[in-house]
Amino acid sequence: MKKVLAKIDEITADPYRYVAHLKERTGKKIIGCFPMHVPEELVHAAGMLPVVIWRGNELVTWGHSHVPPYNCGVTRTFIDDAVKGKLQFMDGMVFHVRQCLQAGEFPLIIERNVKPAYMEILYLPPIYEGEAIKSFLLDDLILFKESLGNFSGKKITDDDIIKSIGIYNENRSLLGRIYEIRREKPEIIKAKDVMKIVWSSMLMPKEDNNELLKELISKMEKQEVKPEPDRLRIILVGGLCQTINFDILDIMEELGLIIPDDDLYVGSRYFANKITDFEKNPIKAIANRYLKKTPLCPTKSVWDIHWADEAIKKMKLNKAKGIINVIVKFCPPHTTYYPDFKSVLAENNIPELAIEVEHEIISFESLKTRLQTFTEIVGGV
Amino acid sequence: MDVKYKINRLEATNSIRPLVDRHWEELRTAKARGELVGWASGPSFIFPYAMGMKCHFMAGYASYCGGIGAADELLKAAESIGELADTCSYHRLHTGMVEAILKNIPITEQAKLPMPDLMICGRYCTEQAHYSEAFYRKLGIRILPLELPFVFREKDRPRIKKFVLRQVKEIVIPTLEDVCGKPFDYARLSEILSVLKQTAAIRNKCWEFLATRPATWTLWDYAVSMAPVIYMMGDPKGIPYYENLLKELEYRHKNGIPAMAPAGEKYRIYWDGWIPWAFLGKFMRKFTPSGAVCLCGRYPWEMFADPESIDPEKPIESAVDWLYGNHGIATHLAPKGAIGKIGELIEEYSIDGMVMFSSKSCRMWNLSNLDVIDALEKKYGIPGVVIEADMIDPEMVSDSQINTRLDALFENIDGRRK
Repeated sequence: MKKVLAKIDEITADPYRYVAHLKERTGKKIIGCFPMHVPEELVHAAGMLPVVIWRGNELVTWGHSHVPPYNCGVTRTFIDDAVKGKLQFMDGMVFHVRQCLQAGEFPLIIERNVKPAYMEILYLPPIYEGEAIKSFLLDDLILFKESLGNFSGKKITDDDIIKSIGIYNENRSLLGRIYEIRREKPEIIKAKDVMKIVWSSMLMPKEDNNELLKELISKMEKQEVKPEPDRLRIILVGGLCQTINFDILDIMEELGLIIPDDDLYVGSRYFANKITDFEKNPIKAIANRYLKKTPLCPTKSVWDIHWADEAIKKMKLNKAKGIINVIVKFCPPHTTYYPDFKSVLAENNIPELAIEVEHEIISFESLKTRLQTFTEIVGGV
Repeated sequence: MDVKYKINRLEATNSIRPLVDRHWEELRTAKARGELVGWASGPSFIFPYAMGMKCHFMAGYASYCGGIGAADELLKAAESIGELADTCSYHRLHTGMVEAILKNIPITEQAKLPMPDLMICGRYCTEQAHYSEAFYRKLGIRILPLELPFVFREKDRPRIKKFVLRQVKEIVIPTLEDVCGKPFDYARLSEILSVLKQTAAIRNKCWEFLATRPATWTLWDYAVSMAPVIYMMGDPKGIPYYENLLKELEYRHKNGIPAMAPAGEKYRIYWDGWIPWAFLGKFMRKFTPSGAVCLCGRYPWEMFADPESIDPEKPIESAVDWLYGNHGIATHLAPKGAIGKIGELIEEYSIDGMVMFSSKSCRMWNLSNLDVIDALEKKYGIPGVVIEADMIDPEMVSDSQINTRLDALFENIDGRRK
């Protein structure tokens, strides 16, 4: 298990080097897909390698000549990386411009300053009722498929897409299995390692990742762990679009918390909902996955299901005692939801803590104090 | 010797406040008269208006609260329920107002609105749409959703227009018919557009006096005059308001009275982004001593800039064309379209410099500001600065930062003139 985790650690420690090398090794074109809803299956079906764009590994410098500091971490670091030339291994980039306002920044900045060989935008509408939305979404995906085909020089057939969906669905199953094992014996793995596992799936060719995950699952299934019943189970919610600073996860565990499950983007959200009924019309099946209302994503404007209710369900399923809301600083879809989320948890007497995470500045000491207080409240000290 | 600049205030704009007050008063008292009330975000209120509903407009309400000095107390009420400061201040303003009403927190009476029977959620700004969802969760208020994408590429416009038209026909109209219990009133929609067309045509003649050298009035005067061409659309009282304004501008022009005393402006400025509704006086005072006047901007030019394209005989198409027609404004919000639109305004109004008003809690008008300045500076040779503040949240307005950047802009213009 350590060996597999070390391999994953190597990939996620320097995704730039890994993806650049991947391009050299496979000879395939790399397409950066901005999180969270670009359908990677279509890129894969075009014979190219989709990678999910990540929060960068440096302080933002040049990027602030293009985006204001009051944009979220992944927006600013992506632009910073792009204008510094750190993403030159990406042959193309795809943006879902209606996900939030910040996503609307990318087309012009990238077109003017980076000029990748391929850039595509998707409008992917919110999940409103009615056939007009479904039809517009379907058109968006069909146009995307055509555009990918034109760039790759390969006519994408339904069979190609069906095959890609199969590979992606397998990846979802495997990640789901890892989460099942963690739920059964959460002491088996650290939260940061789980996040790295999901992140590796966003970076690696899914075929390779599937093999790696199979090996990991086989080790995890066999591994015995010593239960630590004194640790307090909590669920993490949010973390939209980007990884969380791993040190924060470590602090939580050092304080005696344990995370048997999560509702994070670089977590269970990424692999939720397999694509179903895809044999007859695979594009429609991709659209149907996007139209799923759960796990609730505030960028999709769903109002008849409450995110807090979903989080409570997950908490109960995992016999957890509280919820930590991980709010990415300057993430309006999450912040606009937060007061309602918090009030439902309060009505249900569920301990909740909100932590705002920023790309650059985190005062670990004050965060640690808040987490410590929360741990004591949850533990009834 | 230093020139002492001073704004020559218009008489005509004094009559806007009573019109605006009456509009909001009618909304506040609508339920007592048995009328249905809607709250609308994005440019979607025209449809409930056609059904005789009294309807608020999210940005319009925020500007009103800013104008009557109520914004701060509503934002504080929002903070009490856990709203975070980075959240859109228009969103916070509304959740604060509802919280204050529900919990009897004292706020300015004029800021209290009746709870809506329907939330018309025009998802033009993706973030503004979230307040409808919040009120559904909190109060169970029905939502009428309408996705209104910005147009990022010209080639996408026809299919987006078709998509929006389809939503209006399949969702908006049937929902309004259901809520109001009567067929959709196409005739009333035509009347509204007809009045709007007349009002906007006169307004456009007034705009010509912003292009004169020296300017005859200012962007701030127009900003306070916007209600008749936006949320008061269809109200015939907007026509005499603009006729009166036009008369005064013609008089000024004929008699050589500029917007800025003693002899006209030194710098002609383009203003990008929202109007700082709660701080209009403050911003005027920042520009005037230097002899700078703001004359135009994308946002104020959104309001039916092309009245000729309004066809009351085709009301639904006209309403949608405003956003997605040949001159549709939904293109100007995507940064590439912004470059084109701002460029037109720079030429038409002989602009010397650009101020991009970047609202910290709202990214709707901020997209790629620095790249937009760079592109326009290269094309027109005029400088631009970004100033960071907010439309209504005083916590986000830093005087010294704004002063420094404006000084830099004026010095830059001077330097280029030499």
